[in-house]
Amino acid sequence: MAEKRRIELMVCTGTGCFAGGAFQIIEELNKELESFGLKDEVSLVATGCNGFCGQGPLMVVLPDNIFYGWLEKKDVHYLVEEHFLKGRPVKRLMFMPPDEKEPFPLLSDIPFFKKQLLVVLRNKGIIDPEKIEDYIARDGYLAIEKVVASMSPKDVREEILKSGLRGRGGAGFLTGKKWEIASQQIKTPKYFIANCDEGDPGAYMDRSVLESDPHSVIEGMCIAGYAIGSNEGFIYVRTEYPLAIKRMGIAIKQAEEYGLLGRNILGSDFDFTIEIREGSGAFVCGEETSLIHSIEGNIPEPRQRPPFPAQTGLWGCPTVINNVETLANVPVIITRGADWFSKIGTETSKGTKIFSLVGKINNTGLIEVPMGITLKEVVYEIGGGIPKGKKFKAVQTGGPSGGCIPSSMLDSPIDYESLQKAGSMMGSGGMIVMDEDTCVVDVSKFFIQFTNEESCGKCTSCRDGSEALLEVLTRISDGEGREGDIDFLTELGESIKDASMCGLGQTLPNPVLSTLRYFKDEYEAHIKEKKCPALVCRNLIQYYIDPNKCVGCLLCIKSCPTEAITGESKFIHIINQENCHKCGQCLEVCPPKISAIIKVTGSDMENLVQLSEIISCKEWKKNHEYS
Amino acid sequence: MFDDNKSNGKIGSALVVGGGIGGMQAALDLAESGIKVYLVDNKPSIGGVMAQLDKTFPTNDCAMCTMAPRLVEIGRHKDIEKITLSEVESITGQPGNFSVRLNKKPRYVDEKKCTGCGACVSNCPTRNSVQIVEKEKIKLQPKYAETVTEILKKHQDRKGPLMPILQEVNAAYNYFPENVLRYISQETKYSLSHITRIATFYSSFSLKPIGKHTINVCMGTACYVRGSGILLEQFSEKLNVKAGETTEDMLFTLKAVRCIGCCGLAPVATIGDDVYGKLQTKKIPEIIEKSKIKELQYAQANN
Repeated sequence: MAEKRRIELMVCTGTGCFAGGAFQIIEELNKELESFGLKDEVSLVATGCNGFCGQGPLMVVLPDNIFYGWLEKKDVHYLVEEHFLKGRPVKRLMFMPPDEKEPFPLLSDIPFFKKQLLVVLRNKGIIDPEKIEDYIARDGYLAIEKVVASMSPKDVREEILKSGLRGRGGAGFLTGKKWEIASQQIKTPKYFIANCDEGDPGAYMDRSVLESDPHSVIEGMCIAGYAIGSNEGFIYVRTEYPLAIKRMGIAIKQAEEYGLLGRNILGSDFDFTIEIREGSGAFVCGEETSLIHSIEGNIPEPRQRPPFPAQTGLWGCPTVINNVETLANVPVIITRGADWFSKIGTETSKGTKIFSLVGKINNTGLIEVPMGITLKEVVYEIGGGIPKGKKFKAVQTGGPSGGCIPSSMLDSPIDYESLQKAGSMMGSGGMIVMDEDTCVVDVSKFFIQFTNEESCGKCTSCRDGSEALLEVLTRISDGEGREGDIDFLTELGESIKDASMCGLGQTLPNPVLSTLRYFKDEYEAHIKEKKCPALVCRNLIQYYIDPNKCVGCLLCIKSCPTEAITGESKFIHIINQENCHKCGQCLEVCPPKISAIIKVTGSDMENLVQLSEIISCKEWKKNHEYS
Repeated sequence: MFDDNKSNGKIGSALVVGGGIGGMQAALDLAESGIKVYLVDNKPSIGGVMAQLDKTFPTNDCAMCTMAPRLVEIGRHKDIEKITLSEVESITGQPGNFSVRLNKKPRYVDEKKCTGCGACVSNCPTRNSVQIVEKEKIKLQPKYAETVTEILKKHQDRKGPLMPILQEVNAAYNYFPENVLRYISQETKYSLSHITRIATFYSSFSLKPIGKHTINVCMGTACYVRGSGILLEQFSEKLNVKAGETTEDMLFTLKAVRCIGCCGLAPVATIGDDVYGKLQTKKIPEIIEKSKIKELQYAQANN
């Protein structure tokens, strides 16, 4: 390993920052460090996801722990000269919350990081995920050593059971119990599968774990294999995560070279191998029975349970399937003890949970928080509130299986039970924040569209039920809602829940049912008043140019793809509603200072002054100043 | 007329090989012009493939209506001699005067006495036993041969080989050519229907050729609430294709995908390996152009 340098640069290369050009930044940094002769003093590490994706591409400077976000190639030269050569940190590139005057230089001061408790992501942004040495230096593979040297499989299972660790994939089944069931089966061989088919839109914690700390998952899998008596593990990764697949592949190879995988691990008589299997873009494959079918090469449709996979799974053998995040918890529990782990969290939900905090929120990114933290703390303290001073409306958790939690319930703690009580669920941990500009009917429609497309088609209730839900929701958002639609949605939703076989069908009505529960008035506004309060549903809104504000700059006219806007320079522009496509381009180009274009809905549409012909801005002003 | 023929050493008889519709017509035409015809077919009866068809292209005429009169006429014609269950072994001599050696397979029924009453057929006790038809082996088209054989060889010994095989084939060609799927079915012993079902189940597989670059517009929740629906529309308008379709120049395929895990950068679209985060509609023409230019440069560099 390289000797300690004066400064270490931790550049995030997670998918988010990668997309923002992190590798170009690294290249540039290397070049600049070279030209300043700092190559031997400053070292550069490409780390996995740092979590603060909204600031990417980003970098943390150690040992001072200074955080730089939104890096650009042109900043690099200045940064290297000022900070690394002259020792003056660059304020301009530090994190700057919207309403503060002074930036936060230190990573640990940034509220986004302050409230977090890192267990699973303990190594994020600190190690190079492609180097096993880095992981080992951070106490990696200590747990597997402890397990094979001094614990029996039964001890391991009891330790995990005692810790109260529950599955992080969504349903929250006790991990120790699952292992116990599998270990009781007589049939061999037994298989172990790590589930990284993270299909929930808006959730990417599993990807991040694989990208930033793949070895913790490998270690967790080894321990699990030892505990249930399995020698063969699979890790099922969705094909949309090429970087995660690549890093996992590297990590497995390295672990094999070090004797941490393969035959006789660490000199014991325990053998364990891991093979990567890729998904190919089917949401239902995240369901455990269909995941098994997919690996077998069969049609990835779920099947009836029981028998549970822990009894009859892959190729008819006992199989344990655990989520990636669950597995990354395992090594920590073994090294630090079940008692330590069970102190974190609430009565029924132990430990921490990773959430991807995204949507209409200032600080988007990945956060790890102890169970029991309130939604308010997450949204306002970690997330930094809603951008542009808009009003918070709801937070959607649990992806397409979850529901919306309104502002009235912001004080409720986050754990498996209270989320369920609120009509949502933990799910894999997507947390999508919605502001007043988000229409709940539109969002419900979006989710049902998703589940409708992804339904495998085996159960009628799921296949045709989602179709019927979608039809009614589309009707409502098109302004053709009828009296009685709301009752129909509720009744149909409940019956889909009762009649479907797998998790996908049983939870697909959740987004509709939970929004109906908390935002019934909005549905009613769509149906009765033909009005979309959030100004989203296309058929219910109109774009309109405020004659008092328009300066006649022609920008909107040029951008309009359907030539629906008429006007001349210095003359007030008019939107011809018949030709308007409602694409919103004009709204985007209208300068923020002027913001003459507005959206209107419902009865407001009739009360507007519609100009019949274009008149000059001057003339309009004159007429209206006196009147 | 016959005298003339004799003088130049030609004999007034002909051999027609194959008793399909073409052979039958040829035999009839020859016989009508007064030439003795021998009609040879390797099947037990004449009629060929057309006898198995219902309708024929392009007029959709009933196949049997075309055939039946000819069959009857051949049966009746005194100048046509049918030699069925026979194959040509050798031909000697020259055009107009040659002798042919035929290999006639045994029929086990005396042709002279058989009246075709059908009684033996309906009374045969083994009549309904399954006759196994040897299927012709499917061969890979040369352009696929090397890659596909290699992929199959790599995965032949592993458990559940189908998904990895399909994934690698998909990576190699971006879609599944029919020939390759049939070949995989033959080699892996998975039925073709099973393979086709899998190939159509997953969203990253396609049975139709797709463009060189895939434009994926993320329709995950985070992107959706930040307006990716409008992005998709704009792409579709600019490229003049709907989601899931390919442009005419085979350069781009537009797709709506469910979350690529860059929610922090919402809304996101990817073109090939390039990721565009926080994308605005006005940037779309620019990035399409950029990809086209990149493609051109790539093509030039390769030439």
